[in-house]
Amino acid sequence: MSEGAADRRLHPGTIALRFIKEAPSTLVALPAALAFTSKAGLTGALFLAAALAAALLFFKWLAWRRFRYGVGAAEIVIESGILNRNRRSIPFGRIQDVDIERTFLARLFGLAKVRIETGAGGKDEGLLDSVSIGEARRLRETVRARGAGTAPAPEVADEQTEEPGDVLFEMDLPRLLLFGLFSFSLVYIAGLFAFLQTFDRFLPFDVYDPARWVGLADEYLPHRWTPGAIGAVLLLATLIGFVAGIARTVSRDFGFRLSLEGDRFRRERGLFTRSEAVIARRRVQLAEIQSGPLRALFGWSALSFQTLGAGTDRGGHPSAAPFATRAEIERVLEEVPPLRPPPPPELAPVSQRHILRSSAARLAPAIAAIVALSAWQRPALWLLGLLPLLAVAAALERRFHRYALAGDLLLVSRGVWRRRLWLVPLASVQCWSLSRGPLQRRLGLATLSIDTAGASMLNAPRIVDLRAGDAAALAAELSRARSRHSGRKSGTER
Amino acid sequence: MTPLERGLLRQMQIRGAVAGMALLVAAAIGERLLRETLPLAPGSLILPAFLLLAYLALWAPSRRYRAWGYRMDEEELQVRRGVWVQVHTVVPLGHVQHIDVSQGPLERAVGICSLVLHTAGTLHSQIVVPGLARATAEHIRDEIRGRIREQPA
Repeated sequence: MSEGAADRRLHPGTIALRFIKEAPSTLVALPAALAFTSKAGLTGALFLAAALAAALLFFKWLAWRRFRYGVGAAEIVIESGILNRNRRSIPFGRIQDVDIERTFLARLFGLAKVRIETGAGGKDEGLLDSVSIGEARRLRETVRARGAGTAPAPEVADEQTEEPGDVLFEMDLPRLLLFGLFSFSLVYIAGLFAFLQTFDRFLPFDVYDPARWVGLADEYLPHRWTPGAIGAVLLLATLIGFVAGIARTVSRDFGFRLSLEGDRFRRERGLFTRSEAVIARRRVQLAEIQSGPLRALFGWSALSFQTLGAGTDRGGHPSAAPFATRAEIERVLEEVPPLRPPPPPELAPVSQRHILRSSAARLAPAIAAIVALSAWQRPALWLLGLLPLLAVAAALERRFHRYALAGDLLLVSRGVWRRRLWLVPLASVQCWSLSRGPLQRRLGLATLSIDTAGASMLNAPRIVDLRAGDAAALAAELSRARSRHSGRKSGTER
Repeated sequence: MTPLERGLLRQMQIRGAVAGMALLVAAAIGERLLRETLPLAPGSLILPAFLLLAYLALWAPSRRYRAWGYRMDEEELQVRRGVWVQVHTVVPLGHVQHIDVSQGPLERAVGICSLVLHTAGTLHSQIVVPGLARATAEHIRDEIRGRIREQPA
């Protein structure tokens, strides 16, 4: 392999960019502390800030000077480190994706962060932070041309957006706002309180003093908690929830576009931070369609893929269409051949005894919690009357927990509030296991878990409480179908 | 299902005994300290600890050992384990990424080794078959290696 020379440097603007990014924490916190704690006062603080700024700038410059990269005949070379020199070469053949991300600040400077992904799972394997946007695009074209063996793409002019490929999914502003409405969340109110808690020492009052809030209410509401006042507060909270949901959705998914370019999807999104991610089609392991009760009612759901290697968001579960109709999702799925929406015959529910098992498993902790609570507050014993609700919840859960094996595709759906449907091509299944706990053995049930590349603990298709016979039959069918379809290989790296 | 080597049982017993002994020592010290302040009958801590030792060193290992089993055919390796929660795992041989044969000091002493199959799956990326004779483990490894090579990457 020929050695490439590391002959390029990052864009000089990087120094300024990083300086601005780190300045607030370094240049304000320490001098401020000095100004408050010692007698040095404002002049001393300013002097310290200036000295720190000079030192920071010098180190940023040094890091920039010592960081070099280059494109060789067969690899990308990155040299870094101020004292310990580190030379890393990434062969083109190993590069999976080149992601370009542009934060708001970077866009002001005309810069972009380039992340070279090799799928080895390391976070910053090949991070070029930052180069000019033109250079970022050139790098990507170079990698594409030499890496995946595709035809060299035409040269792209600087500072000009690339020609979009075949657009598969796009969200216009009305759609985005509607999506924002559905993303209503009160989490932000909690976030606001967390923020207040962090900075409460700077506030002139104690956030957690209930008397203060009641007093406040007393001041403003002469009749204390009238229904009208409560209604106003609830309305305000709801409004904040909606506004927060819309704001977050718009800033993240503004101008969302998923397009197809040869053997890869390209996804662009973001209002302030504009990110371009690439999803190689052959690296898609499975698809997940998500919805909720309300979204399902109006026919909206979200599509995300699970890919090999580190994706840009949510660690290998890139979102492909966050708020789409069924037809739109089908359109995207068509491009990833084994994947397809579930066939019209409904998926089969898991065993009825799931209700029994699931409620039994929750009964003990629930009773323990209530009994413990009643030691403090006797009336808590009345909560025991709510226990039948566990069975209702379990019955509801069973209604939405279904599965089917359709040819070379395994379908699993689960969740009442967060409805998820996994589409798992059998070729992506790495291994599977049947497990049976004591209660399950007594009830003749079994759980089938399926492991795929890139699966996480919380996000794995698992069929809980099948009838033991069905589970064994399904496992056997998996074995048979797998060997039948083993001609087609998934994008699994060897 | 093929049972595993008796050496595995021995290993489990030794481990259980070590853990049980540690508990026993802790119980003995604890009882001694507690009896200075509380009116405890002699042996009220040691006796349960002793029973626990017997459980950990004798009863639990044999149950756990009997739960283990494996079977390999042309297409897949199946592993069965677990007393309380019984798990039956199936690994298609074509999906094995690489294979380790490992042997710790205790395993060496009782003459067994473990076969570790790595798959690309991230939830159970390692499937371990403990308690194989060295020759068996190496035979299985070579068999699977052959199968990986046969299939196009």
